[in-house]
Amino acid sequence: MPEGTLCNKKPIETEEALKTLLGDTGGKTYYEEMKSLDVDSELLWKTIQNTLKSRMKTWLEICAHCGMCADSCFLYLINDRDPKQVPAYKIQSTLGEIVKRQGKVDNDFMHMAMETAWAKCTCCNRCGMYCPHGIDMGIMFGYLRGLLYQQGFVPWELKIGAGMHRVYRAQMDVTDEDFVETFEWMVEEYEEDYPGLEVPVDMEGADIMYTVNAREVKHYPEDLAEAAILFHLAGESWTVPSSGWEQTSLAMFAGDWAACKMQVESVYAAMERLKPKRMVGTECGHAHRATVIEGPYWAGRSNGKPPAESIHYVEWLAEALREGKLRVDPAKRIKRPVTLQDSCNYIRNHGLKEITREIMSYIVEPGYFMDMAPNREHNYCCGGGGGFNGIGLFRPQRNKALITKRDQILNSGADLVIAPCHNCWDAIRDLEEEYKIGIEWSFLKPLLISMVEIPEHLQIKE
Amino acid sequence: MFKKILFATSATEASDHAARVAFNMALNYKAHISIFHVMGVPTRGFSQVVLDVKTREEVVFDDEYVAWVEEEVKTYYAKQLETAENFDIKVAIGFPHREILREARQSRPDLIVLGGSTGAPEESVYKRGMVGSTLQRVAKAAPCPVLVVNRPAASFWGGMSNIVFGTDFSKASDAAFEFACKFAKALGCEMHIFHALDISTMHMGRMLTQDEIETRIRESLRRIRGKYISKIKGEIQDYAFDVWEGVPYVEVVKYAREKHADLIVMAHHNRKTSEEDNRLGSNIEQVIVRAGCPVISVNKQVRN
Repeated sequence: MPEGTLCNKKPIETEEALKTLLGDTGGKTYYEEMKSLDVDSELLWKTIQNTLKSRMKTWLEICAHCGMCADSCFLYLINDRDPKQVPAYKIQSTLGEIVKRQGKVDNDFMHMAMETAWAKCTCCNRCGMYCPHGIDMGIMFGYLRGLLYQQGFVPWELKIGAGMHRVYRAQMDVTDEDFVETFEWMVEEYEEDYPGLEVPVDMEGADIMYTVNAREVKHYPEDLAEAAILFHLAGESWTVPSSGWEQTSLAMFAGDWAACKMQVESVYAAMERLKPKRMVGTECGHAHRATVIEGPYWAGRSNGKPPAESIHYVEWLAEALREGKLRVDPAKRIKRPVTLQDSCNYIRNHGLKEITREIMSYIVEPGYFMDMAPNREHNYCCGGGGGFNGIGLFRPQRNKALITKRDQILNSGADLVIAPCHNCWDAIRDLEEEYKIGIEWSFLKPLLISMVEIPEHLQIKE
Repeated sequence: MFKKILFATSATEASDHAARVAFNMALNYKAHISIFHVMGVPTRGFSQVVLDVKTREEVVFDDEYVAWVEEEVKTYYAKQLETAENFDIKVAIGFPHREILREARQSRPDLIVLGGSTGAPEESVYKRGMVGSTLQRVAKAAPCPVLVVNRPAASFWGGMSNIVFGTDFSKASDAAFEFACKFAKALGCEMHIFHALDISTMHMGRMLTQDEIETRIRESLRRIRGKYISKIKGEIQDYAFDVWEGVPYVEVVKYAREKHADLIVMAHHNRKTSEEDNRLGSNIEQVIVRAGCPVISVNKQVRN
């Protein structure tokens, strides 16, 4: 059977198609259909010829098979040093083979490639730092995912996720109305505690345009309230766009290049419409990568930058604390062993390692901060990156992958993990559920709310 | 008085006492009762998998599963539903406090009835990774009064005829008073207005002499007369008021017990508290945990 009704090469374009796919509990029929999905070798080869550029071609060719990348990969280490988990092997046996065979691969091969691309690599890009040639397998796996997506070999949840972006311009079924309504609701809930608190929607020329993760709107809108409160206390001129507010991109994890472009263009359109001085995104790693680092290229922006200067939440927060816009009550600083999760997407891949540590210096009582080992740009992935967290089919592999982070946390001696990234936060939550090591975990915002001083003119008047 | 009641339940024993009160009120006041159950908390990023609150297993959330849970809830309350005239059952996924508040924002009930605690944080699926209880969060932000039954309502036989209104003279208490009056008038209840003078050193920083205490009690009684009694004279027939000194929540519970109250009405302060206060819980939270009758918490002006 060439194309299935649920598993096929067509992207999800309508709400109806999305619901039908969602209705296939756990992707049972979807994966069944995948077993007989045809590979369109001609399309595959044509796509490779059009998109495989010199960088990746060179990388595939110059790999000396030296094995330096092996020990850099936490999945290799945690899976008993299985040679099949060596990054160079993983990419050569998948993308390398497809190229070598000019796209002439079969269904079994594509199944193997799918598992390798989504369950044996989280696109953390750590191997790229250790390769003597600087070959970045993470980037090549991102590319391979695109080829697999085009052929319909993509995990069920990510096909849905990419479809969400196409239908809602958000990773979940949250409409623009839902977003604005939820933000306003949150402000209503907190305005008595913070007189004057408001959410300026679509204000032109603000200093900051704030973008979020749809999960916040859907499941924990307190995060929106906390963002509003901190901007309010810092005296910022800020706004949220009524559309183009979603910073994340499951389409990136899925390899749906067209949806990546659509999503990021909606955010850029908001920037162009509202002309903020800067865009600040929420505490999310891949959202930053999608919208700030890779997005400009998807959207074909010649300067490689978003229309407005775009920074990560930790950059804004560090600046606000440094400049005294936000002041931490020294008595309320964290006085328990605490560690910090370095998110691959903006630490290793965007150099913000000292920024997060600067924040720690303001909010943690000296002597209580315990770094993980290794840390900063050498830190390991949380274990659930690159979409791994969300894929039911690969849950056992994901749970095993969490062990690396579990042991890093245990060895640090901390019982609180600060994780300024949605994906890391989820993975750490899951690892506590799975392995019960007695830790707590938190984003930065709620911690800050509990310790910042409220300027006199913003205090509650009796 | 109550046309719409939102009964938020775990559909377990923990909510049984609340169920008794909720269904009775719906029956007595001919109210629509919406049985609202948060069936699971979403797990692992952006997927359809939730942790079922009852089985503690990971399940995939789809229409079939929702229908099954709805049927479960219906079976659990089969007996109560025999006499219920006007009801619906809703099932949601998410963090309970947030989904209850979301539902309340949409359906605008006149009263939320909240089930009892589902246990310690480490035992309850609802509370993982969350600070504070569902109760604290709902009571703080609800758009309507919230009724909580934590212990078996010993004196509760179906009707409410004897209200204790506990006040600290705050603005929030004014809203609670307004609600208590409306309630008492509509249902012909006795009303007991009560203030507890806080003499715990923890709050005042020093010991008070007995003269000081008695002076303050007299002052408080004067305030009750001026602030509340003047407003209910002629409107509510049976009323009484008193001021006792002690630890406020203990005194409120003692007073309610002595007056055989079947309802306590208090304000929930929409105020941040320090970490220490959070741990101890505010007075109303302590009253809820300890009282032998239902407690209604009011946090803002009640809509007419």
